[in-house]
Amino acid sequence: EDTGGDDEVFEYGKGDFTEHACRYCGVSNPACVVRCNVPSCRKWFCNSRGNTSGSHIVNHLVRAKHKEVCLHKDSPLGETILECYNCGCRNVFLLGFISATTESVVVLLCREPCLSVNALKDMNWDLSQWCPLIDDRCFLQWLLKVPSEQEQLRARQISAQQINKIEELWKTNPDATLEDLEKPGVDDEPQPVVLKYEDAYQYQNVFAPLIKLEADYDKMMKESQSKDNITIRWDIGLNKKRVAYFVFPKEDNELRLVPGDELRLRYSGDAAHPSWHSVGHVIKLTAQEEVALELRASQGVPVDVTHGFSVDFVWKSTSFDRMQGAMKTFAVDETSVSGYIYHHLLGHEVEMQMVRNTLPRRFGAPGLPELNASQVFAVKSVLQKPISLIQGPPGTGKTVTSAAIVYHMAKQGQGQVLVCAPSNVAVDQLAEKISATGLKVVRLCAKSREAVSSPVEHLTLHYQVRHLDTSEKSELYKLQQLKDEQGELSSSDEKKYKALKRDTEREISQSADVICCTCVGAGDPRLSNFRFRQVLIDESTQATEPECLIPLVLGAKQIVLVGDHCQLGPVIMCKKAARAGLAQSLFERLVLLGVKPIRLQVQYRMHPALSEFPSNSFYEGTLQNGVTINERQSPGIDFPWPVPNRPMLFYVQMGQEEISASGTSYLNRTEAANVEKIVTTFLKSGVVPSQIGVITPYEGQRAYIVNYMSRNGSLRQQLYKEIEVASVDSFQGREKDYIILSCVRSNEHQGIGFLNDPRRLNVALTRARYGIVILGNPKVLSKQPLWNGLLTHYKEHECLVEGPLNNLKQSMVQFQKPKKIYN
Amino acid sequence: DDEVHVRQKVAEVDPLEVADFDRELRALMQESLDSRKLELRSRPTINMMIPMNVFEGPTKEHHHGRGIDGESGDETIDEGSGGTKEIRVKVLVKRGNKQQTKQMYIPHDCSLVQSTKQKEAAELEE
Ligand SMILES: [Zn+2]
Ligand SMILES: [Zn+2]
Ligand SMILES: [Zn+2]
Repeated sequence: EDTGGDDEVFEYGKGDFTEHACRYCGVSNPACVVRCNVPSCRKWFCNSRGNTSGSHIVNHLVRAKHKEVCLHKDSPLGETILECYNCGCRNVFLLGFISATTESVVVLLCREPCLSVNALKDMNWDLSQWCPLIDDRCFLQWLLKVPSEQEQLRARQISAQQINKIEELWKTNPDATLEDLEKPGVDDEPQPVVLKYEDAYQYQNVFAPLIKLEADYDKMMKESQSKDNITIRWDIGLNKKRVAYFVFPKEDNELRLVPGDELRLRYSGDAAHPSWHSVGHVIKLTAQEEVALELRASQGVPVDVTHGFSVDFVWKSTSFDRMQGAMKTFAVDETSVSGYIYHHLLGHEVEMQMVRNTLPRRFGAPGLPELNASQVFAVKSVLQKPISLIQGPPGTGKTVTSAAIVYHMAKQGQGQVLVCAPSNVAVDQLAEKISATGLKVVRLCAKSREAVSSPVEHLTLHYQVRHLDTSEKSELYKLQQLKDEQGELSSSDEKKYKALKRDTEREISQSADVICCTCVGAGDPRLSNFRFRQVLIDESTQATEPECLIPLVLGAKQIVLVGDHCQLGPVIMCKKAARAGLAQSLFERLVLLGVKPIRLQVQYRMHPALSEFPSNSFYEGTLQNGVTINERQSPGIDFPWPVPNRPMLFYVQMGQEEISASGTSYLNRTEAANVEKIVTTFLKSGVVPSQIGVITPYEGQRAYIVNYMSRNGSLRQQLYKEIEVASVDSFQGREKDYIILSCVRSNEHQGIGFLNDPRRLNVALTRARYGIVILGNPKVLSKQPLWNGLLTHYKEHECLVEGPLNNLKQSMVQFQKPKKIYN
Repeated sequence: DDEVHVRQKVAEVDPLEVADFDRELRALMQESLDSRKLELRSRPTINMMIPMNVFEGPTKEHHHGRGIDGESGDETIDEGSGGTKEIRVKVLVKRGNKQQTKQMYIPHDCSLVQSTKQKEAAELEE
């Protein structure tokens, strides 16, 4: 996750939320709203009826028994308290207009007593045509406009019952909001997500508590991650900043440290050193599980001490704040997204719209590989629709397709295109591809990640700022040099430096064709004044809805969501929030609402033998192979595949599963030992470590395998250290030539836990390009229908084997009848 | 432009709610009237003179289209309101003791201006 800088306190969307918005429905057009003039109230209401018989202002006045109003300063009459021209009476239920008998001059006059004063009749006033201010339960529409139909559709759809309830609540709590009406009690289950929402306020009412739950859980989890007795290795970075290297043991799948995370390093002090602490950002995670932490302050660091440090996690609410902010913007700012997108996202029935754009003659883009038929179809139809979903099964070239789409969008001249994904890795990949088309790309990174190395460093905003003008004339460059040399600047120089940097950042960002950042990064204050009509979100099926909303509410009129709902969704740590549906992505909900995803159909990753099962089980058999068997043969690699030309095997394991030392994960020693043997066989046959990936659903097993291989591997230790051992989940979106999958679970009486999720199995099976080895217990796994299918598939192709690696034999193990297992 | 056609379910207004609301609205009207009748037995003094400058013909306004106190009334002009004809009126309000006029447009068929128009029509015929 991406978070913003530390030096800026940013109130989300400040200025967007108008004080004079109707307290019932949110309409804020100055010509349509009046303020209740009762001093204890002073709330604004509009003149639309919405779903009630009277207009909102009249509803309020009647229910609250308030009688005075004041017009908005930007209304035709300006800031005016409505009152009788003659006696000053302000009771709107008594007021009406009269006109002069000779001229087109009108005034407000009260019905009692002024209208019945005889003396007036002798003057220039026509009393016979007194016209009441409130007519048919509505203010005179020429005085107080009724919001347009569009405005009303975008507003909160408040019911009469809700009005009565909130008016009741205001009697004891004048600041209560409609959200307060729906607030669940502390112990209540949160409201679950639904398919369709009345309006963006109801949407917010559902998602805001879920995001809050997740944020609270995340905070609790991370802040409880303090570790003591940490040993430090000190270093100095290129920017002269102190870097502390240490091992931060992680226990379970739950907390994954990522670059950009903030940690506090503490030393309690000793006879020679005072107690000390400093905050820093994680800039690197090495394969050896070492964390590199760049400290913010370099003074007073006890660099001669190496033992006895403590590390705490510094939790940041930024990403959650931005999601909440985006939902608020979505509700109150009607320019946040187009009307079409607004109604569509909420599940309202909207008449189909096409985007009127001239289509390019060819759909590929310079610098990219030729597109295949399904990719061309995707690009073509996306360019014509305001909302599109692209489903990209593994290896089908969704990054290239996305880059081609962005290329054509940018060429349409509708302003800058915003390109996002939930993960930094995906953003980098996409930024690189888009840049290859020749478009000007700016990759915006969170300030906390600027020190984190990136494969597309030259595209990052901070890099471009540093290299825009490196001549001696550039003041920014001089100040930057000074800062790098000294570590710090004087406060006046720092001020100047920051201002210059901000200007340069703006200049560079504005001149880009495409801005790339994470979804959360789209809420960066540096983009707050930017508008993007066209937004593409890659890996959108791995983002929560509110996360997806962040890039969308910057003015989207055309959106493209790319992803694959048959692979893993967003990681939700709070079970309550996950149960309520926070793990369902916007992409998935749109699919459920009937938006048909365009599926990319040709996969270029897997050996055809490897794609067969996933294609049939997850994609209705539609996945075609863009690679041939020949292209996926590796000459000279001598591995005991049971069937030549079928580089797949299921290695039957009967070893027992165990609970890991942490007590919350699983490991399986026999499987780990066999993983090492398989890895060694690959290495001996000429495969290099970077070609191999070992994946397992359990953190306990992952840690055990890393340890076991480096201790017991029969080849050079370094070779094993270079092999990536990771969770299935962290491997999503990536590939290796050879994949070894260790299933771990081997308990006949329990479920198979993580393996039960078909989407996880899909991800696990589709990472390998050349060959896959699965280790598991068929007796246990076969109970689950999908695994039963997989085992049957391997058995039918004579790839289900047992025995020593150098003498593998067909396994005759009996499968169990599949039944649905709930975990 | 952002034109969108939403197939909307027809908002149903609960007749019981309407009845209840109307009852309360009428009660509030009546109460307002009654209170004034009781409070103000003595007739208020009449202070309804129309300031002379309001009558300073339309020519002045043609030139710069401003209200007499120099505040712009231009933004009130609602040209785009379809086929319904609108009539320009000056709304006279008091700010403290100061009188101000603002231009507004009211619908052609508003009873408020019917008599004025009739009179004008009569004058034209003469
Ligand atoms: Zn009020
Ligand atoms: Zn309203
Ligand atoms: Zn009066």
